[in-house]
Amino acid sequence: MATLANRLRLSSFSEMLNTSRQRRENFYGYLFLLPWLLGFLGLFLGPGLFSLYLSFTKYDVLSPPTWIGLDNYTKMFFDDPLFYTSLGRTFYYAGVGVPLGVIGSMFLAILLNAKLRGLAAYRTLFFMPSLVPIVASVVLWKWLLHADFGIINQWLVDLGWSDPPGWFGDRRWAIPSLIVMGLWQGLGGTRMIIFLAGLQGIPESLYEAASIDGATALHKLRHVTLPLLTPTIFFNMVLGVIGGLQVFTAAFVATEGGPGFATTFYSLHLYRHAFDYWNMGYAATLAWLFAFVIVSLTIWQLRLSRRWVFYYGS
Amino acid sequence: MKNLVSRRSFLQGAMAVSAGALAACVAPAAPESDMGDEGAAMEPVHLRWDTFRGIGSGWNEERIETFTEMHSDVTIELRPLAGSGQQDNYAKMYAAQAAGDLGEVVAFDPSHYHFWRAINKDIIMPIDELVAADATDLDQWFEHFLGLQYYQGQLYGFPSWGWAGFDTLVLNAVHLEEAGMDVPDPTARDVSIDTINEWAHSFYVEGERFGLNISHNEATVVVLTRLFGSSLINEEGTQCLLLDDPNATEAMRWAYDLGVVDQVLPAPGDIENAGGALVAGLLTMNWCGSLCVRNFNNQIEDESVAKAWQILFPAREDGRFPSQLRGGTWNLRTNQDHADVAYQFLRHISSHDGSLSFNLVAGNFAMVRPDVVQSLIEEDAIHEWFISSLENGIPAHAPANSRGREYTSAVQQWTDLLLDPHQPVEFEQGLQDLNDNIQAVLDLEPA
Repeated sequence: MATLANRLRLSSFSEMLNTSRQRRENFYGYLFLLPWLLGFLGLFLGPGLFSLYLSFTKYDVLSPPTWIGLDNYTKMFFDDPLFYTSLGRTFYYAGVGVPLGVIGSMFLAILLNAKLRGLAAYRTLFFMPSLVPIVASVVLWKWLLHADFGIINQWLVDLGWSDPPGWFGDRRWAIPSLIVMGLWQGLGGTRMIIFLAGLQGIPESLYEAASIDGATALHKLRHVTLPLLTPTIFFNMVLGVIGGLQVFTAAFVATEGGPGFATTFYSLHLYRHAFDYWNMGYAATLAWLFAFVIVSLTIWQLRLSRRWVFYYGS
Repeated sequence: MKNLVSRRSFLQGAMAVSAGALAACVAPAAPESDMGDEGAAMEPVHLRWDTFRGIGSGWNEERIETFTEMHSDVTIELRPLAGSGQQDNYAKMYAAQAAGDLGEVVAFDPSHYHFWRAINKDIIMPIDELVAADATDLDQWFEHFLGLQYYQGQLYGFPSWGWAGFDTLVLNAVHLEEAGMDVPDPTARDVSIDTINEWAHSFYVEGERFGLNISHNEATVVVLTRLFGSSLINEEGTQCLLLDDPNATEAMRWAYDLGVVDQVLPAPGDIENAGGALVAGLLTMNWCGSLCVRNFNNQIEDESVAKAWQILFPAREDGRFPSQLRGGTWNLRTNQDHADVAYQFLRHISSHDGSLSFNLVAGNFAMVRPDVVQSLIEEDAIHEWFISSLENGIPAHAPANSRGREYTSAVQQWTDLLLDPHQPVEFEQGLQDLNDNIQAVLDLEPA
């Protein structure tokens, strides 16, 4: 009995200690979380909910919002031709640019993962374009891709293309021009670094085993590297799609949405309504629809990933 | 006993703190006007000047210094607006006004289409009473540019910058001399539309040089239609004239033939920096404004490659010169304590000395005062070239609904589509689309 009583006393004492320690830990935990939580509530959730409210109003910043129900949504779906065209152009940009970027970065990383002399210098060289400010990059590429005086068209003419593209000045080529510029800047950037990290996480023993089994370099790539890189590919695809759909700066600086709306992407259309035309309510509507599209696409990618992403050791 | 901080209670607390912090961020309500409060100017007065004009040139600081030397009880805080573009700065000023933090001295330029909106939203105040109290002579500014400062019979500011819009073809005289041709008299207005057309063809060398560049912005399209005796929209700012006035249609047909049929004009985006192309000898004529001639002249480094000249458009049948008189303004914010003092500063920056240095130091184009024009001519005789458009130009027409940004955007983008040589559209269809989309903007409810 005494033993049991002692055990109970000890248990109670230990529980008290645990509770006290847990309380203290909770307090400090929340204290350290507080700055982020304040930021989340004040700068994200609060404004986000406010913008949801604004999407049902007419609001120009200078006058109080006026409730107009679903009018903004009706306008967006039935009375704004630029809504569909800008959304289509955005999907075109992301649909072409993101796969090219991800595949390109992956192969660049594979090349730069080889054991060569001067590898650090190569990695630095390929990484450098990503450090160039977007405005400088635009100026550079507008000269390179100038329809009449640009060096790239001079080369194309020399190679026998008598009527080379008009690039930024041609509605058919304006988005490909932006994609080319984006690839130059993005291929060797952080995406490549993430792929390099992924490659270096693949156990060397798997390659050794494959070699013993007589696998060629191509076999190793196909059956070892690519399957084990799928989590990295998936990660880069998700971020790439989100970033690609949000394309704004390059078009804003390089073409201002032109020529003839050819590069009026969704974000640019939204920006104009918000900060050029002061249709904040309508801009909020566009923003919420876009958020819905991006979240839906991301969920779809997550679901799809179960079929093709392979986690080593899982 | 349960003394743990629950997640719910913690989040409730955090939300309350956030709400408190946000509430604390709300700016105090703007002070009530007490303009009539006698003796207000006797106390130390602090003014805030929100502007993006002249920033970095030293002009603003010089204006403040010379003013405060005369008024030792006044301090003026310069608050530079440094948006990525002019329009961004208006956005900042609207936001500042919404937050109750807009400076006392501001500028909402008519030619950037913000003037009327700022009045309708009660951001800037009429200054007629201050003008009367001060007995300010309003004849010191050109009538056109002062006229831009009026709305519904009341005066809201004094002119800042002002010019005749895209009223000229900036010409590289070297190309004419190389072709053995005499350069035209820069002020005679004796080069016909047909000659311009001919030169656009004859100076075009595929892959090397363009004879003529016509940008597709509103400033150019308006003067193009005026060159043919019409305009883009009516004076009231309610109707697009492209389909209703045959002269406007003819103007667009002229540009369409050059750009799409003959393909001798740069396509949209082909020439990003027309001024640079002129200096480099890649362009013979650029449709621009008198400011461009002055800048072109200042940028030339090698006179064997480029020499600044100009062609002024011929007079119209009604005797007016094709142009679009455009200008800026200096305004006073409503609801301020010391409007009389701010008004004196407004006068100081728009005076002869202020306006002259606004040109020479701040690098703006402000031909808004006859006495400044004279001083500028003494400085550089090229300024004499611009006088006729200032004296006999045609004022800008603005959308009646203050939808200026939508209007300029529609003009630019739909003119791009009409004049696109890569994917040409039928002229009639392109013009119909351009007209309809401009009209759609003019039909919007007031901003």
